[in-house]
Amino acid sequence: MSDLDRAIAQLRSCRPIPESQVREICHKARELLIEEGNVVTVAAPVTICGDIHGQFHDLMELFRVGGDVPDTNYLFMGDFVDRGFYSLETFLLLLCLKVRYPDRMTLIRGNHESRQITTVYGFYDECIRKYGSANVWRYCCDVFDYLALGAIVLGASNTLSTGTEPVDEDTEIEVCDQSGTVMSRFPRPMPRPNSAEGPARSPNGGGGSGDRTGPPGSGASGASGGSIGNPTGAVLCVHGGLSPLIDTVDKIRLIDRKQEVPHEGAMCDLLWSDPDEIDGWGLSPRGAGFLFGADIVKIFNHRNDLSLIARAHQLVMEGFKEMFDASIVTVWSAPNYCYRCGNVAAVLELSEDESGTGLFARSNGDVGRSDGGRGVMMEGETFVRNGPARRYRVFQAAPQDSRGMPAKKPVADYFL
Amino acid sequence: MNPPDKSAPSIPNLLSLRGSRGGARGGRSRGGSGAGTSRRTGQGHDAVIQGTDTDAAVSRLSAVDLGYLHDPCAQFFVQSPNGPPPRRLPIINRGTYTRTSGLDRLIDAFLSTLDAESPKQIVALGAGTDTRPFRIFSQQNCHGLIYHEIDFEVVCSKKLRIVKGVPLLSRVLSDASVVPPAEPEEASSSWTSQPSNGGLFYCHGLDLRKLPGNEGSLTLPGLRTDVPTLLLSECCLCYLSPQEANGVISFFTTQIPSLATIIYEPIRPNDPFGQVMVSNLAARHIRMPTLDVYKEAKDQVDRLSKAGFEVVKHMTVEDIWNSWVAQEEKERVDSLEGLDEVEEWQLLAAHYIIVWGYRGDGFSGLAEE
Repeated sequence: MSDLDRAIAQLRSCRPIPESQVREICHKARELLIEEGNVVTVAAPVTICGDIHGQFHDLMELFRVGGDVPDTNYLFMGDFVDRGFYSLETFLLLLCLKVRYPDRMTLIRGNHESRQITTVYGFYDECIRKYGSANVWRYCCDVFDYLALGAIVLGASNTLSTGTEPVDEDTEIEVCDQSGTVMSRFPRPMPRPNSAEGPARSPNGGGGSGDRTGPPGSGASGASGGSIGNPTGAVLCVHGGLSPLIDTVDKIRLIDRKQEVPHEGAMCDLLWSDPDEIDGWGLSPRGAGFLFGADIVKIFNHRNDLSLIARAHQLVMEGFKEMFDASIVTVWSAPNYCYRCGNVAAVLELSEDESGTGLFARSNGDVGRSDGGRGVMMEGETFVRNGPARRYRVFQAAPQDSRGMPAKKPVADYFL
Repeated sequence: MNPPDKSAPSIPNLLSLRGSRGGARGGRSRGGSGAGTSRRTGQGHDAVIQGTDTDAAVSRLSAVDLGYLHDPCAQFFVQSPNGPPPRRLPIINRGTYTRTSGLDRLIDAFLSTLDAESPKQIVALGAGTDTRPFRIFSQQNCHGLIYHEIDFEVVCSKKLRIVKGVPLLSRVLSDASVVPPAEPEEASSSWTSQPSNGGLFYCHGLDLRKLPGNEGSLTLPGLRTDVPTLLLSECCLCYLSPQEANGVISFFTTQIPSLATIIYEPIRPNDPFGQVMVSNLAARHIRMPTLDVYKEAKDQVDRLSKAGFEVVKHMTVEDIWNSWVAQEEKERVDSLEGLDEVEEWQLLAAHYIIVWGYRGDGFSGLAEE
């Protein structure tokens, strides 16, 4: 057993590893990450995860539900640390797995992977508490600076892989519970002569027609119209969302990312912004990043040949939330967030396009591939790229007895 | 599609403002256990409830230290032998700020109804270490104000010790002295003060549960029944049984014709957030029996209507933040720490309500809110 495997075993049992080993692993991780572009290319199949926030035992539950590493190919969209009690163990385990299985583990940066945010929201204090100095926090923050800003998933199939139960070819969305039991399925809508707006429904997207309400975390049908058999567009994964300074994926690639998350600008926006039911851009209540509406997403997706944007960053009570005719989805992977919010979590599985055409037919967003923003929107027409089939695995918080709450639980959770 | 001007000055810059508070790394930790919450022996639930006052005092000091609230008295009611007191998370600080601002606004509306000389009265239930009387009696417009606090004997005694020991406090609540007990052999924890700016202050060391049904026999020294009175319960009645809580309210409604009340407490125990809230508080041995009865805003409104209040209004803490906190003030508060927990804030803030009502004369200020 190598030192790395021993470290992984120790972290899996939620025990911190020695400071010297943290330093070594952070150094190795940095060497790996420095080779990655700002936008990592990931081939399906892949399981996309949202915020974890130091909820270590819930991360173990996620691995139980989604499959273990390296059997499952994972993409984590940031916010590994802060808020939960085990940011250190959570981040180090993910980092060790990244070093051990670099091709099966993709980590991109969230807005909490930042020196300033971690001093406010807990990771800094946790490192001091567990090591007695800020060294480990510094090593981790140095790694944060090298994390990619986004990922492009290629080769996702428009049909679901067979899970525990057979799947029809026309199933676009499947929602499973944590034991893999199918809670609901939604067929892909057939193309319609005039589908400019697309069907009004979207899984738990709010404002749906409500005629197909499923269990929590499900909802009505998806809406990425298109015919079966076409390869799907690429999926952009980013922690927060879009930026008014970024109109093509290529522009993300041009950012100098190896720094603390700036207070404003494109890099900040990618990690801080949120989709919202507005037209165009709006001010964010978070004080950083922007709000962006459906029009922004549709134009961006079309211009960049994307079928979907997957992002995290916002707590959604049902674990995932598709918006804007399924052109963007929020994935949230911290169940009962902060041990207080009562929400369920989800991961998004995209299966592999067995025909192999997806990978070749799709340009993956390399420099030079974009159309440079020429007028792509025909008047009154919204072209929606055929979306990948999506399986959401919804799961709840790890059982209380396995969580190992600290003896002195912080008590400031409520206004008393 | 034109990108917005990135340098728009109206966007508060979360991160740069955070940088100005480097002292946060000096070892002050978030959270931390309030001393009172761990002692559950003897008095059982009562001690736990007294611990919630420690919790509130720490939260208040955290909000003050970070600049959310201005309250020079808050520091004296938090004992932190092991270094600086814990700092709360931004979401809790914002909640403390919003709750305090909302209550202040209503109380100010009540106080401003009548001129400074006209007699008026505030009765704060379970006031604990609340600093509000120091803030109110520091002002010049309180000559006619009679301010009562009621809490456990041990809490009132402790407050008197603190007031006597801190010049800043004893200058406001001057001449603090113990009220002689009714029976000479009993010890008394009740005390009174003649504030230096005028008015009267009483701190009654009394278990609230002795009030119901004793309207005839039990008198609170200094309590007047003939002046407009504001009854205030800031997370207090929720710890009693619904019968006891109703009994406490009727102790005052049956005696005081011109009465207003303001109740602040949690609501919505049945949605996912509320269920976790109830279970997390239960893990700390905190029970809120009235929460089972007054689950929603409408239940709280019905409660006050049935108690005889003619006009009843309510707002959640989320409503107060959205509607009562001015835009410039929001930006000031946001700039103190930033708040990344937007969705969580909405959840948490929607689970606390301020409900208020009044009947009789002397409440025209409240009528405008």
